[in-house]
Amino acid sequence: MNWKQRCMATVAMVSAVGMALAGCGSGASSSTGGAASASSGGKVELTYIHRLPDKPGMTSVEDIVQRWNDANPDIQVKAVHFNGNASDLIKKLETDVKAGNAPDLAQVGYAELPEVFTKGILEDVTAEAEQYKGDFAAGPYELMGIGGKTYGLPQDTGPLVYFYNKAEFDKLGIEVPGTQDELVASAKKAAEQGKYIMSFQADEAGNMLSGLAGASGPWYTVEGDAWKVDTETVGSQAVAKVFQDLLDAKAVATDPRWDPSFDAALQQGRLIGTVGAAWEAPLLMDSMADKGGKGDWRVAQIGDWFGNGSKTGPDGGSGVAAIKGCEHKAEAMKFLDWFNTQIEDLTSQGLVVAASTGTPSTPESWSEFYGGQDVMKEFFDANANMGDFSYIPGFSSVGTAMKEQAAKAAAGTATVESVFSTAQTSSIDTLKDYGLAVSE
Amino acid sequence: MTAHTTTAPARRRRSPAARREERTGWLFMLPFVLLFLLVFIVPIGYAIYSSFFQQVATGGGAYGGGELVNRFVGLENFRYVVTSGEFWAGMGRVLLYTVIQVPLMIVAALVLAMLIDSFVVKHVSGFRLGYFLPYAIPGVIASIIWVYLYNGQISPIVKGLAALGVNVDFFASNVVLGSMVNITTWTFTGYNMLIFLSALQAIPHELYEAARIDGANGWQVAMKVKLPNVRGAALLAMLLSIVGTIQLFNEPQVMQTADPGISYSYTPMMMAFNTSRGFLTPKGDGPASAIAIVMAVIAGLLAMAYAFVERKVSES
Repeated sequence: MNWKQRCMATVAMVSAVGMALAGCGSGASSSTGGAASASSGGKVELTYIHRLPDKPGMTSVEDIVQRWNDANPDIQVKAVHFNGNASDLIKKLETDVKAGNAPDLAQVGYAELPEVFTKGILEDVTAEAEQYKGDFAAGPYELMGIGGKTYGLPQDTGPLVYFYNKAEFDKLGIEVPGTQDELVASAKKAAEQGKYIMSFQADEAGNMLSGLAGASGPWYTVEGDAWKVDTETVGSQAVAKVFQDLLDAKAVATDPRWDPSFDAALQQGRLIGTVGAAWEAPLLMDSMADKGGKGDWRVAQIGDWFGNGSKTGPDGGSGVAAIKGCEHKAEAMKFLDWFNTQIEDLTSQGLVVAASTGTPSTPESWSEFYGGQDVMKEFFDANANMGDFSYIPGFSSVGTAMKEQAAKAAAGTATVESVFSTAQTSSIDTLKDYGLAVSE
Repeated sequence: MTAHTTTAPARRRRSPAARREERTGWLFMLPFVLLFLLVFIVPIGYAIYSSFFQQVATGGGAYGGGELVNRFVGLENFRYVVTSGEFWAGMGRVLLYTVIQVPLMIVAALVLAMLIDSFVVKHVSGFRLGYFLPYAIPGVIASIIWVYLYNGQISPIVKGLAALGVNVDFFASNVVLGSMVNITTWTFTGYNMLIFLSALQAIPHELYEAARIDGANGWQVAMKVKLPNVRGAALLAMLLSIVGTIQLFNEPQVMQTADPGISYSYTPMMMAFNTSRGFLTPKGDGPASAIAIVMAVIAGLLAMAYAFVERKVSES
């Protein structure tokens, strides 16, 4: 090999090593960072970053905020839409706080709030938020707090409910099951006809299986300033048993929730019933669009399938939190209380609002799809039936571990029970890696 | 890029003209140097720095004191990476992937380049463009397209094969790596073909004439004249491919939406990414940087080993 070639090889090698290094160095950089709040002559400017859908046909966040700005010249709010998922937003907020240019208000999921708190990017607004407590359902308001302090106001909730195609159910001669035995029997009956009335969504395992188990009781409790972790509760065991029975009998759809095959299963009419969070109502409508099912679907409460009685569990839902460095906390909470109680507008964004200042009406397109049913009322009932379930800091890595194990369970190479034992070890590892106290 | 190779006689004082020239040279270098520092050296330096830290909660207790601090942990992050079964499983996957994918792609690219360069093919530009076209599609988009083509519910390929009585599941745990190999090969073969083609076309035609006069047939010209002359290009392509495949990321990351069986630490690159995003524990930039650095060192060693073997072989 001559000198030139050797040189070329060295260049290639050096730059390649560099590429590998540079590819994964520092975290996400912030380009759309909201300006820090600045007050000039009594006028307060706030930045609010959110991940609401803002799709055509919805009342856009910008329009809602514009109404506020027109009526409140002293408190001007700039709404910024964040394109990306929850973990990306957290990463952005983390770097923004470090850089000192974080927004004042940001959308944060209830499941992520403890983690965000531990990361030190929240601002204590206990005193400023207190007066608005009455405007929101008690449960979600509590979820915006940690250790007796409040960090924001709740926006929407995600109680788990049951979506099903009534026309198909009638054809099969089955009804929404009330008990565990009925559920398994009906699922098997439907499976004989090539239909599924339940889905085991490996990619949503961390949210949904924990939520279903959470209907019967919490996993994480704080005792004497240390975490007590038990993810293998009676509720978890019941969830594991039901899904294991269904998987063994091949009486449950195993398409991942966010894979095109899930939508295909809905469109082909193979999947005629599934547990889902309330916020999935418009998503399911979108999935089926004009491909059938319109007017045939209904929403029902989850039956007593997992020893949960009439309770249900949470899956998602978010609030808006004050971010560290927010200087005008009182003004921020004043705006937020107004924004989060714009029930009709937020409902148009597909949210089941946490505000209790009024009853939202079901949007027309929803009731068309759900056969004239007052879907919002079902969601509100579900909301009222939600069990107490709180999360630990760093729950996302627990969710990851559960997903991976659930994928194996769906493929038949692991048991559903092992999803919950994985959650146990992963929860304890996560807390310890953060340097938090765990009592074992 | 190389050091000054000027063998100027040792002069004590440089003339003003030479100094001016030097200044002009540096001025021309400036945009490159600045950008190189900014997007290359600084991030690498920061990655190395942060790999010695872990983010932990202050104050202990159940929630911590509401702040994460960077705690210096020495080589703890590296100990975690080196002893992590997940990391080595991921490394094993990409090595297996490299061993299958790189030779397959290089040979395919070489064959295509030889065919186009031979006198068999007319209308070269059409073929050249056609083979190169997949490379014009960004890797993530290519992966998304292939996810649809692999999906058992909607794929015309799966349905077509099923109609022929062949039932394939491109996401089965022992097939999925092959599915990724296919995406990468599809994307990059044309690119490597272009490298080979330009090397082939740079060969002086006198060599062919001489070979013909010596009585070589087309096959012998291809094997004895063309092949040895594209060695340099082949080495470069191999090196870049090896390092590229070690960094396997787009394909598994995109395919994960369709197949939750692809774990968050499926490849070291995914593991670094998801550690940084907090999906794996220990989490944060410290452990993620450590993963990236260990991975870079391994990639560098492999590339060096390959270059070394190549040289030994070519010397013998």
